[in-house]
Amino acid sequence: MTAMDSGKLLELYESMVTMKLWDQTALRLLQEGRVLAGYHSGRGQEAIPAGGVAPLRRDDYLMYAHRGFGYTIAKGMSMAAMFGDLMANTAGATGGLGAGIPHFADPELGILGQGGTLGSCFGIATGAAFSARYRGTDQVVVCFFGDGTANRGAFHESVNAAAAWKLPVVWICENNGYAVSVPVAESTAGRIVDRAAGYGMPGVRINGMDVTEVYQATCEAVDRARAGGGPTLIEAMCHRFRGHYEGDPQVYRTDEETQRLLALDPITTAAARLMEEGAVTGEQLEELETRIQRRIDEAVEEASRAPMPGPQRVYEGLYV
Amino acid sequence: MSLATDTRTLTFSQAIRQALHEEMERDERVFVWGEDVAVYGGIYGATAGLLERFGPERVIDTPISETMIVGAAVGAAITGLRPVAELQSSGYFGIAMDEIYHKAARWRYMHGGVFTVPLVIRLPEGAKGAGPEHDVSPEALFLSASGAYIVIPSDPADALGLLKSSIRDDNPVLFFEHAGLYAYRGEVPGGDHLVPLGKAAVKREGSDVTVIAWSRMVGESIRAAEELAAEGIEVEVVDPRGLRPLDLDTILESVAKTGRVVIAHEAPKTGGAGGEMAAIIAEEALEYLESPIIRVAAPDVPLPQSRYLQRYLIPTAASVMEAVRRLD
Ligand SMILES: Cc1ncc(C[n+]2csc(CCOP(=O)(O)OP(=O)(O)O)c2C)c(N)n1
Ligand SMILES: [Mg+2]
Repeated sequence: MTAMDSGKLLELYESMVTMKLWDQTALRLLQEGRVLAGYHSGRGQEAIPAGGVAPLRRDDYLMYAHRGFGYTIAKGMSMAAMFGDLMANTAGATGGLGAGIPHFADPELGILGQGGTLGSCFGIATGAAFSARYRGTDQVVVCFFGDGTANRGAFHESVNAAAAWKLPVVWICENNGYAVSVPVAESTAGRIVDRAAGYGMPGVRINGMDVTEVYQATCEAVDRARAGGGPTLIEAMCHRFRGHYEGDPQVYRTDEETQRLLALDPITTAAARLMEEGAVTGEQLEELETRIQRRIDEAVEEASRAPMPGPQRVYEGLYV
Repeated sequence: MSLATDTRTLTFSQAIRQALHEEMERDERVFVWGEDVAVYGGIYGATAGLLERFGPERVIDTPISETMIVGAAVGAAITGLRPVAELQSSGYFGIAMDEIYHKAARWRYMHGGVFTVPLVIRLPEGAKGAGPEHDVSPEALFLSASGAYIVIPSDPADALGLLKSSIRDDNPVLFFEHAGLYAYRGEVPGGDHLVPLGKAAVKREGSDVTVIAWSRMVGESIRAAEELAAEGIEVEVVDPRGLRPLDLDTILESVAKTGRVVIAHEAPKTGGAGGEMAAIIAEEALEYLESPIIRVAAPDVPLPQSRYLQRYLIPTAASVMEAVRRLD
């Protein structure tokens, strides 16, 4: 890993803090009973969506995962629209179809949506990458998925085709060690990154708790894809700090294990580095947080003003 | 292959090929992919000549990866292309079921209508002596996949006109082609022949009995009608040309006229679309019925590979005649 200039690191830091504060706010709304569905917190894994989305252009494509809302925050999705979806009201990007398992999309921003059946992302990512090349653009697709999702058969079919056709996709596996309760070692043969060799494409395993590392690995993969060099598999090792979903009793791991993880917080790590480099003071970082929280609060307020959809909403948007 | 000006005779397979040619010529966003569709021209010859005309960028042999074939076609469709994906047999639907049922049919809806999914999935179906997994007619499985159209031609003219319309439509279309029809010849109109989706065809007029049939059973029902005419029974054959959108008006108009209904399809009776069709008619037009609705369908067993045994299972003109004679 080479050094990163502190301006870039500060940008990524801001992106991660936004995700963290967003998450806290979503959890508060959940507690207040204003979120009409389950929510999969992304706390602890912010370095991956922050570092993995930042290298993308506005017109590049994003297939995001269910873990937190960091990916779409980083791609520039309207916060009010995302809160609207959480609250299942008409401010939502889905116009009230909501809710906690995100299905928001924004074609203008290259956000192609998310499927509730895990592994939906694989085929769609391959197809979007095919489409980019077919149309003669140099757009790139980044596809995020968990370690558990990597075991879907769709992974093989889609990753194989994308590699055989040298399509511009970056596959980013967030290996947080668990699929709900099942440890990766019990469900998964070999290392996920080693599958890359089988498909004849580059694969790298990185520390997914370090935003610089994620950013640099993704930049390299995106550049290669854009230049016609085909896909890359990145396995980002990481930890989720909270349960799989809110209310998860986490019987599959001990409190000590969860507590120990907190020392690896990617946001604290980045903050320490920034201060060490003398790029910012602690006070400035606090101001930054206040500013971001204000933006988030405004988005919540904007979303809260929207009405719930009427019953006729369910009949809209099915057919053209 | 430019537009023909005059009516001519084409096989069903040639009609499919003609539709693909014309639409690929017309719209650069249209491409074709599937197993053996390029160099080989499709195992039924339906994509023959496309590679030579449009090149490997637009006519693509895929790996044996049905999940990817449909899933990636959805990805291409929501990013500005108009894929025509072929499953080599509709029997492989299960491998692509999530991609058909939840992705193709629902991606638009689920994401609040911000995308369109202009995608056609070509699905060869029907009995052909290939065994229980291949010889299926699974169209009814997709009745609950709201969001997807289900289109089924029964002759070359409709194969051409419906496929062209399906490719131009912005909704995802499951396009079922009976493998037993590919070699069947029929007259096809010249010009830019488009058949609107969701418009049933009265393939033969009659006043005594309505036979609702699709796919291969349309031809069988017309043959039955011709024989029954000699006995003084006038059968009206209504081909809905698919299951969604469903042209209920034409169906109910015919039922109101005849008061007697036979529904004929090749899929097994239980779970076949005849059940849904009968229920709709009972709900909407019971007062016109002078006799119970009869379904002509395969029995509830898998189709064995043996053509010898298949003869006992697959409904034919004789089965339709027998059903019509049973009506009061
Ligand atoms: C096809 C499918 N199977 C099962 C589920 C239920 N499910 C939702 S999230 C999840 C675990 C996913 O694990 P992983 O991919 O590692 O992502 P993580 O939750 O750890 O971020 C499961 C089993 C699903 N949504 N889709
Ligand atoms: Mg996991």
